[in-house]
This record gives sequence, structure tokens and C-alpha cells, in this order.
Amino acid sequence: MMPTVTLSNGARRALLLAPALIFLAVFFVMPLLDNSARSFIREGGFTLSRYTDFLTDRFYLGVIAETVILSAAVTAISVLIAYPVAYVLVRKAGGFSGLMIFFLIAPLLTSIIMRTFGWQVLFARRGLVNQWLVNDLGLLDAPLRWLNTPGLAIAALVHVLVPFAVLSIASVLQGVDRRLEEGALMLGASRIRTFFEVTLPLTVDGIGTGAILVFMIANGSFVTLVLLGGGFQTLPLLIYQQFNTTRDFALASTMSTILLMIALACLWLQLRLLRRQGV
Amino acid sequence: MTDLSSALTLSAISKTFGPLKAVDSLDLSVEPGALVSLLGPSGCGKTTTLRMVAGFDSPDSGTITIGGEDMTRLPPNKRGLGMVFQSYSLFPHRTVGENIAFGLRMGGASKQVQDGEVRRMLDMVHLAGREDMYPAQLSGGQQQRVALARALVVNPRVLLLDEPLGALDKSLRESMQFEIREMQQRLGITALLVTHDQEEAMSMSDKIAVMHGGRILQLGAPNDIYDRPETAFVATFLGNSNLFEGRVRDGVLVTKAGALPLPSRPAAETATLSVRPERVVLGDDAATLPQNLRGRITAASFRGAYAAYQITLDGSGTEIIAYRQADTALGQTSLAAGAEVRVGWPVEHGVIVTGSAPKE
Repeated sequence: MMPTVTLSNGARRALLLAPALIFLAVFFVMPLLDNSARSFIREGGFTLSRYTDFLTDRFYLGVIAETVILSAAVTAISVLIAYPVAYVLVRKAGGFSGLMIFFLIAPLLTSIIMRTFGWQVLFARRGLVNQWLVNDLGLLDAPLRWLNTPGLAIAALVHVLVPFAVLSIASVLQGVDRRLEEGALMLGASRIRTFFEVTLPLTVDGIGTGAILVFMIANGSFVTLVLLGGGFQTLPLLIYQQFNTTRDFALASTMSTILLMIALACLWLQLRLLRRQGV
Repeated sequence: MTDLSSALTLSAISKTFGPLKAVDSLDLSVEPGALVSLLGPSGCGKTTTLRMVAGFDSPDSGTITIGGEDMTRLPPNKRGLGMVFQSYSLFPHRTVGENIAFGLRMGGASKQVQDGEVRRMLDMVHLAGREDMYPAQLSGGQQQRVALARALVVNPRVLLLDEPLGALDKSLRESMQFEIREMQQRLGITALLVTHDQEEAMSMSDKIAVMHGGRILQLGAPNDIYDRPETAFVATFLGNSNLFEGRVRDGVLVTKAGALPLPSRPAAETATLSVRPERVVLGDDAATLPQNLRGRITAASFRGAYAAYQITLDGSGTEIIAYRQADTALGQTSLAAGAEVRVGWPVEHGVIVTGSAPKE
């Protein structure tokens, strides 16, 4: 006879969750707490001075502004590109929608570092694009400088983030009853008018969710800006500098806590949006 | 106040989806102010026909005219029609008032005109004072009334009704049938109704077009089609029918069940006789009738206003259905399963149809 052990439901649940919880506690919560604690402690006592210093410094405020503006620009471009793609995916692709989703998701299976290197290879001084433009097509006399331009960095970020926006918008667009649009057409609205009067307002939640997602990821993006440059001075880059060059861990911690707060604010916004949708 | 410019005519329209001929050279004309139903099982082409009239699909060939004006290639927003959908299709992000005003706003009407018209329409559909509510706050029947108001407010030349009552429950459906019909007649608006519900078609239409396989099998007034179906399909789709197939010999139809007298002389050698269940006479009353059939009641079911019986005829084993009004006066015993009965019908109540009984 096997000895039987009876567990209450609560105990069983706790046992099943334990490995994940322990893992998260050791590798996520504790480092996070340790990191933010460093920003609040000075000479053994609690202090907010680093935050007040940081948030009153024009340079650092500029960095926060630049981070947010860059993310907002990337978000706006991503959503503008993603909407038509999502529309085609849901409305026009028919049997090809599966293939389209595959092509959208496939890049996400490649590490972001590899993808960014791809951009470097394509747009290097003697890269493929310049090769084409100068040698093959003869459009230019001398190669263009692509790397370290803001445009290329933004393009690379958009490339990485567009799929997130497409999928968010597509999932909401999928739920829009075509007959609502037909109803508008019957009432004399042109196709364009129907889009702005019916389709777009009904997909605002998808745009919102996609935008917040893209904004959050863009806000924390680091690899792309390190590898492709562009002259941006954003929080993640500054944090990296503080850790590796200046070695001012406390300042780095302060900045990462602020970055975390921005992300949390976005999450809160997203939750509110979702809850409104549920009504 | 019927308007001659609202006559709807479909001439030889066809539509093919891949290998499927959805609509096959269909002709139909709807007189101004009339309500015509397209009735048929799913896949008969009725919805495709309506969508072509609306402008959502365009026919491969043929023309659609309204008031003599060719509409065939016009986009839906240029046709000036109104449409009510099965799913209501009210804009969920707009209030009842905004929904109704939508068509007016697209037409460039002023805010005052819009407000006045919205109030007038809400009065008409008995929903006064609900303009600031959202569709989700209304019941299904109320939403359908708003949908109707939204379609009618623009004075459409033709009103298209796509299974408008399909989503409502039975009791509400009946009262809405009357309400829509009454409104359509009062406004004298030309209407095309698509439905698979024969009761809905019969109670709402001036004419019914029974469709099957992309064609109209028969077009006529509801009672006309019911009493004089031309084909076996129509006889069984619109109402129920007992079909007897056989060869014509000396003015009678020789069937499996026996020789049955015919109401008229058919041209062909073979014929199918259709007898409505409510025309079948059971028991002693059938003694004087010429069919001289006998059978056993194999099932009897009480249906409130009437009772339905299934009878297996002696000899041939042919099964027939009979309805009897629930007028069982005191002292008269109603028939029970297992009873042996005489079966017959007045000869003139049989109808000769073409085609044979649809295979189940």
C-alpha cells in the first residue's frame, strides 16, 4: 500500500505555485527591492534626496523628456503602420491570414540583438544598402551615413515593435461586426466616412492597448539604441552608463526606479482601458 | 402616398460564388408600396439577392432598377435604401438618438432637423424619451425598433429587411410582425423581406417569392401560394403537405396507396398530388369521401389549437399527416393512437404539383 497524503486545496495550490514563486522571489523581487533600496539609502539612513536632486536637474529632466518623446514618436509611427496591416490581416487576407500572422511573429522569435545587428549589416558604410545605392543602382556617388542617425534608430525600433501593435489592433478589429459598417453604408456614409465614423471608434481600444504596449517596450529599449546609436540620450542608456562607466550605482538605481514608475503608470492606464472595455 | 419612383425590379440577375450558383437568372418586381418576401431554406440565394439589391454584392449579370433608374453598379451609400439587419447592427458607441440621426447627418441635415426627426421617429416606434440611452441598455425588441427608425428616418426608396425578427423570441416576434407591417403600409414604403420563417412571410407580405437553388419557384399572395402550390417543394416548404406520387390513368392517380381521384386532368402521365394535413378528414366523416382509404393512427399529438395525427395507411404503409381543429365538443371522443380510421379529403382540396417529395 502506498501511503496516501491528503492535502487541502489551498495547500495543493501553494505547493504547485511554490517553484515559480520562489524563482520570482529570488531572481526578480529581491533584486528589485535591493536595487530600489539602494536609491533610498544614504549613509545608513533613508533619504529622498536623490529623487529630488534628479527631478530638479535640468539635464536629467531633459533625459526623461527625450525618453518619453522618442517612445511617443516610435509609438505613433508604429500604430500608423500597424493599423492598415491589421486591417488587411483581418479583412482582406482571407486564407492568407495565417501566413501573415506567421510573418508578423517570426521576427519575434529572433533575439533582438540579432535583429539589430541585421540593421547594422544592412546600413553600414559598406553595407548592403549603400552597396546597392552606389554600385548597383548608381543613384549616389558616395555612400550615405546611416548608422548613428536618429532616423535609423527609430526605424529599427518601429520594426521591432510594429507586430505588437498589429496584433493588438487586429484582435479588436476582428470583433467589429461587419454589418455595423454595412449599416453605415446603407445610411449614406461613404467608405471613408464609415471608417472614421464606425470602424475607427470601435477599434480605439485596440489602438490604445497596442500603443501602451509599444510605448512601454520602447521606453525600456536599450540594445537598439546602443548598437544603432542615433545620438539619443535616454534613461536606459544613462542607467547603463552609470553602472558601467561612472559606477554610480545609487544614481543608476534612482533612474531605474523612475523608469519602472513610468512603466507602472502605463500599465495602470492599460488596465483602466481594459476595464472600460469590459462595461 | 405610394411613390411610383420606388418600384424595384430585378431582371435576370445571376451571382456565382466559385462553383456555387447562388442566384440563377432571377426576375422579380416589387410594386411601389408592396412588401415582398424572399422565403426559402438557407443557401437558397435569398440573402445574396438582398445583398445585391443593397449593393454589398454586385451581380455577375442582370440589372437592378429602382423607379426605372439603374442601380446595378451603384455603391450602397448612393442607392438611398434603408436596411434592417437581424442583429440590429446599431452603433454601440452612439446613443439611440445619434443612431437614428446618423443617416440624416450623412445627408447633411441641420442639427435642428436631426433632433426633430429623431423625436418624431422615437414617437412612432413608441420609444419617446430614450434618445440618450445606449443600444446596450435596451431590450432586443426595443433595439430592433430603433433599427427600424434609423432605416426609415431617411425616407428610403426601398426598405430591406434581412431576417429582422430572427433574434427575437416567439411572442415578441409576432407583435413585431404586426408592428413592422402596419408601419410599412402606413408609410406606403416598398419593402423586400428576407426570411426562412414561413409564418413571418405569410403574415407580413403582399407577395411571397419562394426560393430554392437560386431561383424563384413561385411568386404570389400568401394564401395563393399556400392553397395552390405549383411544386412539391413549395407545398412542403410553405406549410406541411401529404404528397402522393403516381401515374395518371382514366382521370385518377394510381399511387402506392391506391387510386386517388384528381381535382383536374394533368397534362403529364405522372403527377404528384398534394393534400394539406388540415384538409384530411378522419373517421366517420370520411365515409362519404371517394378515396376510400383506411389506416391506423400511429401517433397523436395535442398542439393546443389543433391536434396532429400520423396515420399509416393499410396495405401500402404510406404515412400521412392530418390536423384536426380542437373542437372536440362534449361527448365527442378525440382520436387516439392505435385507432383504426377512415381517411379521405374533398377532391377539390387536393392540388396537383410538379416534382416529387424532397428526400429527407
